[in-house]
Formats: sequence, C-alpha cells, structure tokens
Amino acid sequence: MASTKIVIIGAGVMGQGLAEAIATSGTDVTLVDRTTKLAERGMKGISESIEREISRWGLTKSDKRAILARIHPTSDLAEAEDAEFVIEAIPEDIDAKRALFEKLDGICNEETVFITNTGTLSVSEIAAVTEHPEKVIGMHFLNPVTRIPVVEIVKGLKTDAATFQKAVEFAEMLDKKWITVIEYPGYVTTRIIVPLLNEAMHVLMEGVATAEDIDEAMKLGFGFNVGPLTLADMMGLDVVMSWMENLIMELSDPKYSPCPLLRKMVRAQHLGVKTGRGFFEYDAEGNKISKNGTPIEAPESGIKK
Amino acid sequence: MKILVINCGSSSVKYQLIDTETETALAKGLVARIGMSASVLTHKPHDRPEVKVSGEILDHIVAIEYVVSILLSENHGVIKDRSEIQAVGHRVVHGGERFSESVLITKEMLAEIRSLIDLAPLHNPHNIRGINACMKTLPNIPQVAVFDTAFHHQIPPYAYVYGIPYILYKRYGIRRYGFHGTSHMYVSERAAAMMGKPVSELRLITAHLGNGCSITAIDRGKSVDTSMGFTPLEGLLMGTRSGDLDPAIILHIMAREELSLHEANTLLNKHSGLAGISGVSSDMREITKEAAGNNTNAKLALDIFCYRLRKYIASYAAALNGVDGLVFTAGIGENSPEVRAQACAKMDFLGIRLDETKNRQAIAKEMDISAPGTKVRVMVVPTNEELVIARDTLRLVQKQKA
Repeated sequence: MASTKIVIIGAGVMGQGLAEAIATSGTDVTLVDRTTKLAERGMKGISESIEREISRWGLTKSDKRAILARIHPTSDLAEAEDAEFVIEAIPEDIDAKRALFEKLDGICNEETVFITNTGTLSVSEIAAVTEHPEKVIGMHFLNPVTRIPVVEIVKGLKTDAATFQKAVEFAEMLDKKWITVIEYPGYVTTRIIVPLLNEAMHVLMEGVATAEDIDEAMKLGFGFNVGPLTLADMMGLDVVMSWMENLIMELSDPKYSPCPLLRKMVRAQHLGVKTGRGFFEYDAEGNKISKNGTPIEAPESGIKK
Repeated sequence: MKILVINCGSSSVKYQLIDTETETALAKGLVARIGMSASVLTHKPHDRPEVKVSGEILDHIVAIEYVVSILLSENHGVIKDRSEIQAVGHRVVHGGERFSESVLITKEMLAEIRSLIDLAPLHNPHNIRGINACMKTLPNIPQVAVFDTAFHHQIPPYAYVYGIPYILYKRYGIRRYGFHGTSHMYVSERAAAMMGKPVSELRLITAHLGNGCSITAIDRGKSVDTSMGFTPLEGLLMGTRSGDLDPAIILHIMAREELSLHEANTLLNKHSGLAGISGVSSDMREITKEAAGNNTNAKLALDIFCYRLRKYIASYAAALNGVDGLVFTAGIGENSPEVRAQACAKMDFLGIRLDETKNRQAIAKEMDISAPGTKVRVMVVPTNEELVIARDTLRLVQKQKA
C-alpha cells in the first residue's frame, strides 16, 4: 500500500502506538488531537517510546529521526478530508465515538475507510451515525501496538467486503497477524483475558498465594510472557474494570463481575503502572520496583483478647 | 548492446545504463523513498551534470517508468527510443542452492526465485518487485537475474556445512551461501589481469570491505570459502554488524534483557560492529580520524576490524595452501590506506608486505601496492558489480539468440 494517507484521531496511548507502528512501517501518518498541545504531547510520548526501544536495541537513532519525520501532529480535524484511512483512538466512550464519526462523516470523502479501535464497543452502533456504515470497521489493536503482533478485525453488521479487504491490507502493512471477529461484545481477546485476570485477583484476595507467586506460577506453568496481575497493572486496573462492566452490561453474566479487590484498588487510585502502584510498585519509567504492591493484610483488632 | 542494470531495495532502485561495446555506463542513478512522501530520482548522465527529479513514486513500477523516462528525456537522456534498451540485468541477492549461475528470467525461473524468499526475506522480495516492474514497463525484452550467491556455489561441503545437526541443513537449507559474489569474481579477474596471468593459475584472497564486509578464498578462479554465511551477518566485523561471535552470547543476552527475536536481530545487525564498539560511527573514515585523535574506543574498533581481517587472510592462505594475490575492494578497501596497512602488518611470514607510498596513493584506483620483491601481490581494485551484471546479461542474451 504505497503513499496512503492515514489519519489517527486521538494522541493518547493507543494513538501514539498506532502512529509509531505506521511510521515504523515506512508510511506517513497524521496524528490529530483536540489541541496542538495534546498532539505535541503525543509526539513526546512516541519519542520516549522509541528511546525505550533503542535502549532495547530494537531501533537505532537514525530510525528515530526517520520515524518521527513521518508523523505529522495537528489539531485540525479537516486533515482527514482526503484520507484513505481514518483511525479513531479516543477513549472507550460510545457517545464520544459516535459524535466523532458523525463529524468525520461530514469531512471525509465517501471512499474513506473509518476504523474504530475499540476493544468492547459495538462497531455497528458507531457506524450507524454515518452515511456509509459499510465503510466502517473495527480494528482492535492491543497495547503496546508496536510489540503485539496480532490485531482483531471486527466486522460490523453492514461492513462491506472491500472495506474488510482494506483493513486486511492495512494489518499486513503493519506486519500484524490478523483474525476476523464477527461483532460481539468483548470480541476474542478482551472477552477471554478479563475473567482470567479477575480470577487471579480473587485468588490473591482469598489469600491463596502472593501476587508474585500467582504471576510466577502462571508464567512458568502456562507459558505466559507476563503474569496476570502484572498484565492487569500494565493495562490499567480502571480499564480492566470498565471492560468488565461493559461485558456484564452486554452479556448479563455474573462471571464478569469485577472482583471486590479490583473495585477497592480502583477507588484508591492504585491503577497499576500508570499511577506507580497496583498489584506491584513501579518507578516513573514503568519498571517494577517492588514485588509487593497493595498489601493484603489482616485488619487490626480493637478487641482485647 | 545497451543494457539496463537494476538493483532494487525495499524503497529504492539503483540503475545504470551500460553500453557493452565500450563497457561504460551511459548514465547511472538512484530512485529513493519509493512509496513515501518526497520520492526523488537522482540521475547522472556520463557527460552532463547530475539532476534531481521529485515526484509521487508510488511503487517500483512507477520508479522504473521514471527511470525509463529520464533515460529518454531530451535534456538529461542518453537514448532516443526505449527500444534501444535491449535487455535488463537484475541483481538478485539470494540464489540458494538452485542457482549456480545467472539465468534468463522466465515465469518458471521467477517462481523459483520466489521460493527462495524464506532464505532472504529482506532482499529477494524487493528484487522480485523490480523484475515484475521491468516486465511490465519494458515488455518483450530479455531480463536476466544475476545472483550474489552464485560465485560461491562451488564451495566444498566441509566449508559450507555448520557444526549443528545435519538434518537442519536438509530441512531448512541452513549452510554457508556467501554473498558479494559478483564483486569477488570481478576483482579477482581484474587482479589476474594486473598480474598478467590467467585467473586459473592463481590463488587469490579478495576482501570486499564496504557497508557489509566479506572475504573470499579463490582457488584458480573458484570460490572455495567465504566469510559471510547463511546470512550476511557472519565473518568480518562490519559497520553495524557483529560478524563472528559465540552464538551462546546472543542466547545469554536475549535471556538477560528479555529481548524479542526482532530486538536481538537489530542488536546484531544495526547496533554492533564499528558503531557498537566505538560509539562514534559506523563510517570507517570517522573511526580512523577519531582513532588518530586518541579516542580509545574508536581505536579499539579499528584494531578489532583489522585484527579479524588479518586472521581471515591467514586462514584463507591456509585454505589455499599459499596465496599469490590479495585484493582490497569496496568503500573501505578502495579508500582506507590505514586499514590496508594495519591488516597487512606483521604478515611478512606469508610474504605480504606493503609499499607505504603506493598504499597511500592508491585511493579508488587500480594499483599494486605491495613492496617490491615480496611474494604476494597486494592490489587495490575498484569493484564494478554492474559491469558483471551487464556482461552476464549480454552473454545470456547472445546465447539465446544463437
């Protein structure tokens, strides 16, 4: 796919990851956020992410210059006008996403493919606000986008074959393996991982084993790269909880009820890597610094024995 | 005959239009940034100044169309009609075990080249793209593939099989293939001419020292061993590649730093070599300058580079049971008297000694730089892979006509 115009809306973590992945593949990309400042902050995040990858030997300094030169930050949504692909990477809020696509529908030409990067929301519901719902498709990339080699391509009820084919080409341009998902809450990855994470939290809460041992057992026992509690910390505990609430709302199955420990930690703003504390503790660069996070200890008793 | 020689990379096309009567390039150039913004074609006719043309060059097909158009253009062109281009010669990196020499490209041959993508995933796909583009843009003229590996196809099994289970060679074709074949072949023939003897009477060692570096032992015209192996990573130290190392090191680092395959691959190919050791540059000119200015890490990088080169020269002298000529070529080989001097120092036991003055004078030109009366002729020979490709293309086209 040569010389394709790609526009990403949302310069948060997912938008940054997508922009970095696209630019790394050698394609130019426009990164839009509400203000120039937010778009620039996205660029800073990308620059830091590349620095981390350089320190892990995955990229070189000249790669960094080339990649950053291919990303064009802006606050002007009108940049999407002549885009071949517009990728939405704003927070998981159905109303915000619908409002954005409605706006884009008035800006873009009718050939533009709209990609929503949602992990749980309904592509069809988002597509319904546009004049061309057949051009809307979901692509659920996983964070960090540059490192996770798989993407779920989510067909909405009206998505047409040509749009699906374009999404496949896009995934292959980014050197990602793709799977097809028929629209259904949680798709494949989120739906399956969430109960696993939740169960690990129950095991911890019930005092069966320490957080470190739970992670170690799952890593060594089943070949996970990271244990479930570390993974939850990396995803953000608030995000994990919002997925569960979405799933329980859509599927009405109590197996998706968030573990009370999860609720408690989210209330305490112990959200994982991003706040420095979750099931483990982290430094500012996101490295694990302690094997123990939120302590699970017996409450003190006021009754004299 | 006028032959277009093409070398396709992922986002670039290098070309030369060669007149085989005079064996000179009528024009040469480069299309860069294919499929990106600000693609640019740099074109240099042999008798006029260089020009740059920018445009939207979406893919290799458009790139080849640009090349043909500028070759035809009134101001910068060198031909009047596209029918003057009578054949196209393509550089193809990997010929596997299937291709021991250049071939005329047919549909069947193209399928076979495609089947080798597994062995050279970074190179062959782009080479194939270039072939397809030329077939479209210049239909009905012969296209020839010249392989980087072909010159090494007669290396004996004891030099190409690795010390791992033999079944892996059978299963995945894991063996030494060697690269830079056209360059090693060309400079060995030039060296023989300089020595006034047929190549079939000589034992030669050729050192191709460019961005990638490889050295080849040539026994009476046949490559019998070469330092690059299954991939171009093995052998000599290079600008950003490690060359030889204990394979356990990479396993150890991968475990310690929890590296992915991609990261480990980039570590060895882009963060290592001169750049990785010196922390200065991958460019030998800068390394030499810094080393002279007492930068200890640059000096170390230079020392490692030259020491390994000396070891390979001596081991290939053993492989050949003696050596008659040693050839330096490519960017570093043609332009660095420092590297040549240091690599040939303390080699008088083999009969290698340089003439210091001649060594300093030999910059990018053919020259014998050995001290008078020494046993081994040491020579600088600028390489010309495009000419080899043009010659092979001519030979195959004439054979087809006959």
